[in-house]
Amino acid sequence: MADDGENSLDSRPNDDSKPEKMFTLKKWNAVAMWSWDVECDICAICRVQVMDSCLRCQAENKRDVLGRQDCVVVWGECNHSFHHCCMSLWVKQNNRCPLCQQEWSIQRMGK
Amino acid sequence: MSAAKKYKPMDTSELHDTENIANCLKKSDSATTNPGRSAFAAQNMNSSSAAAAAAASTTNGERLPNFSKLGAHHGNDIRAASTTSNLLNRMGAIHNTKPGDVKKIVIKNFKAKPTLPDNYSEDTYIKLEEAVIAIQLSKPIKYSLEELYQAVVNMCSHKMDAQLYAKLKELTELHVKRNIKLKELTGGSMDKLILLEKINNWWLSFCQQMIMIRSIFLYMDRTYVLQNSSIHSIWDMGLDLFRIHFAQNNVVQKRTVDGLLTLIEKERQGSTVDRGLLKSLVRMLCDLQIYSSAFEEKFLDATNQLYKAESQRKMQELEVPEYLQHVSKRLVEENERLLHYLDSSTKHPLIYNVEKELLAEHLTTILQKGLDALLEDNRLNDLTLLYGLLSRVKNGTSELCGNFNGYIKKKGRTIVIDPEKDKSMVQDLLDFKDKMDVIVRNCFEHNEKFTNSLREAFEFFINQRANKPAELIAKYVDMKLRSGNKGTTDEELEKTLDKIMVLFRFIHGKDVFEAFYKKDLAKRLLVGKSASVDSEKSMLSKLKQECGGGFTSKLEGMFKDMELSRDINLAFRGHTLSNDRDVTNLDLTVSILTMGYWPTYPPTEVTMPPQFINPQQIFNKFYLEKHSGRKLQWQPTLGNCVLRAQFDAGSKELMVSLFQALVLLLFNDKPTLSYEEILAATSIEDGELRRTLQSLACGRARVISKTPKGRDIEDGDQFDFHNEFTNKLFRIKINQIQMKETNEEQKATEERVFQDRQYQIDAAIVRIMKMRKTLSHNLLITELFNQLTFPVKPADLKKRIESLIDRDYMERDKDNQNQYNYVA
Repeated sequence: MADDGENSLDSRPNDDSKPEKMFTLKKWNAVAMWSWDVECDICAICRVQVMDSCLRCQAENKRDVLGRQDCVVVWGECNHSFHHCCMSLWVKQNNRCPLCQQEWSIQRMGK
Repeated sequence: MSAAKKYKPMDTSELHDTENIANCLKKSDSATTNPGRSAFAAQNMNSSSAAAAAAASTTNGERLPNFSKLGAHHGNDIRAASTTSNLLNRMGAIHNTKPGDVKKIVIKNFKAKPTLPDNYSEDTYIKLEEAVIAIQLSKPIKYSLEELYQAVVNMCSHKMDAQLYAKLKELTELHVKRNIKLKELTGGSMDKLILLEKINNWWLSFCQQMIMIRSIFLYMDRTYVLQNSSIHSIWDMGLDLFRIHFAQNNVVQKRTVDGLLTLIEKERQGSTVDRGLLKSLVRMLCDLQIYSSAFEEKFLDATNQLYKAESQRKMQELEVPEYLQHVSKRLVEENERLLHYLDSSTKHPLIYNVEKELLAEHLTTILQKGLDALLEDNRLNDLTLLYGLLSRVKNGTSELCGNFNGYIKKKGRTIVIDPEKDKSMVQDLLDFKDKMDVIVRNCFEHNEKFTNSLREAFEFFINQRANKPAELIAKYVDMKLRSGNKGTTDEELEKTLDKIMVLFRFIHGKDVFEAFYKKDLAKRLLVGKSASVDSEKSMLSKLKQECGGGFTSKLEGMFKDMELSRDINLAFRGHTLSNDRDVTNLDLTVSILTMGYWPTYPPTEVTMPPQFINPQQIFNKFYLEKHSGRKLQWQPTLGNCVLRAQFDAGSKELMVSLFQALVLLLFNDKPTLSYEEILAATSIEDGELRRTLQSLACGRARVISKTPKGRDIEDGDQFDFHNEFTNKLFRIKINQIQMKETNEEQKATEERVFQDRQYQIDAAIVRIMKMRKTLSHNLLITELFNQLTFPVKPADLKKRIESLIDRDYMERDKDNQNQYNYVA
């Protein structure tokens, strides 16, 4: 029902014969939260939420407002996700996903 | 021999004694051409009294013969001869003229030694005795002073100085004794004041007499007395005798001292007394060196007694400020007394005693009785006086400081503890702090002890009530930073914020503050209600300074999010202009918040019409293309909208929340809706929807009307579009009804803080146990209290420990129930 009304409004915005609608939406200030699109919101390596900087970054970049920008999330082909910082240290020792032991290769990076 | 010619023949007083000659030589050493004049000068230099000087000047001629014997008797003595250049030249001439035929000038002693007339000493004794007695009785003297002086000189020259001194001493003693007896006899019955005057007169005349006598006997004072270190000078001898007899005679001495004390007491009671007399008599005691033994002790005793009684009486009678005034007056008086007649050596003991009796003894009473009232009424002058006085006595300031501290704690507690006063609590605290600061600064000389005590007291009482003060301080800051706070300049705001920070420093549970501050900041940022970005930033930097970057990093992230959102919206606008026409009708602005920085809002699902859904989807697509790996969660509770509304009276712009917009837009399709219909169409949560409808139908601007009328929304109510709506404004803001929500929100925020705290406690316990491996319960609790920055109850800690044991982080020791082991 709402759908129909909406369409009729959009199709006749400057039709004078039809009386103007009682209410017209002019402006919408919306609010949305973003978070990493991850299955598990805790990094298995440092046990910190992936939304927060990893432990290492928290310790080092205390005064850096944009600490997060350096501490993005990385997804492997196995779809497991970790802090990029944590993972890059991890692969130096063992090039496998810590969760499923598959060969680690980066599927995508958060930005 | 021109110089020698001037000299008269030797007279009887000629000296033979070599010692005396040496004396004369010494005097004439400085003289070269005119020995007579130099002798006069030397004499003049040595005379301290005018009388002696007069005698010397008149006897100039007669003194000269002393030098004639120089040339006459000791001409062969080179040392002696060289003293007069004339004589030397003469002798040289003699040697030069007759080299071969030597004629020696031989100078020989007189054959017969000059002697005194036989009865000279007896006569002179009598003469001097008469003169001394005449002086002592204040009668005219028969002989001229010059004659007497010469007589003394002669007596001394003829080795009769010792007898003369003894005689003089005897005479003086007799005189003193006589006088003392007289005073003793009459003194008993005499009025104290008259006695004092008598004694004073006697003393003064005694001094005068002694000066006179000394002038006459000056020669003896200068020769005989100086050469014998064991005997006193004439003046000291006189004082000595006076002292011995005055001190021995208890009646007179006691009466005098009593008299003095009576006079001083009279003065203390406010009547005027003869300060000159007091001063003179005190000087007398000082000169007699019996001041401290005979007078001072008694005086101090009397002082103590007087002030002890007085202070007790006045403490009862007077209010503390008046009492303090009185004390300060007394101290001034005593100081004046010291200045005017007391000996300066009494200063310390006297002032100390007065302070002790008037202040130190009543320290506790003064503070307990008066301090609170003074502080309460802000009586700065009295407080300054109080501090000034108490800092004079031992422990005065520390007692004051302790009581000051107590007052702040007591008063502060009443501000903080009463939930009824929550509204004005922060302002009251600020005012109270200001007031106390002024007092410490102006009245207590900015004493560091007081500053610290003030701080400590504030910290103490502000944490008497957990959490609420922190919350209210955060609220207060919000109120100050929110726009619409007209009439305050940025500087004033800055000052207020600084003061707030002072209070904030006292708060133990800073996390509570952070939670509430964050929630309010979020509201300000999202609604665009922040008064000034600069002030926000300044507040943030203050918090950062106070608590470190960890505390503010999330708050800073919120500001960052707002800036990033602005950029994204610009980009989005560009994107829609070029691509999609659908959204151009609608002005969509999205604030993209980073999860974790912002307070968590309960997720709600509502049914939104395509007007919203379409642009939302376009934005979603746009955003996720830019930022891969993210997901967006829309927050319907937070957005707001502008609706154009057509009423009979004309069109209006309504500023509404998203929920309000959703409800209003329903009326486009059907002018009358029931509550159930609206609920089904929007699927807004029941309570929320009721509040929304209430704000639209029962608020100030009623754009829909409700049947039946009434304040509360009931099931089955009908709503109509209110066509006759009028308002003189074009843009109308329809306020949301928040009352209930704030309470819930508050609870939620507190709840979250407690939740966070539990994690922190858990973390701390594990940290400690991991390090120590085994630890007794008590030690663990102590360590925890050291580590945790917020107030916790031991019971809560116990619960957390239990929980950790359940989760196998640690275990109880098998042998010792009070001991924990870390489980790796």
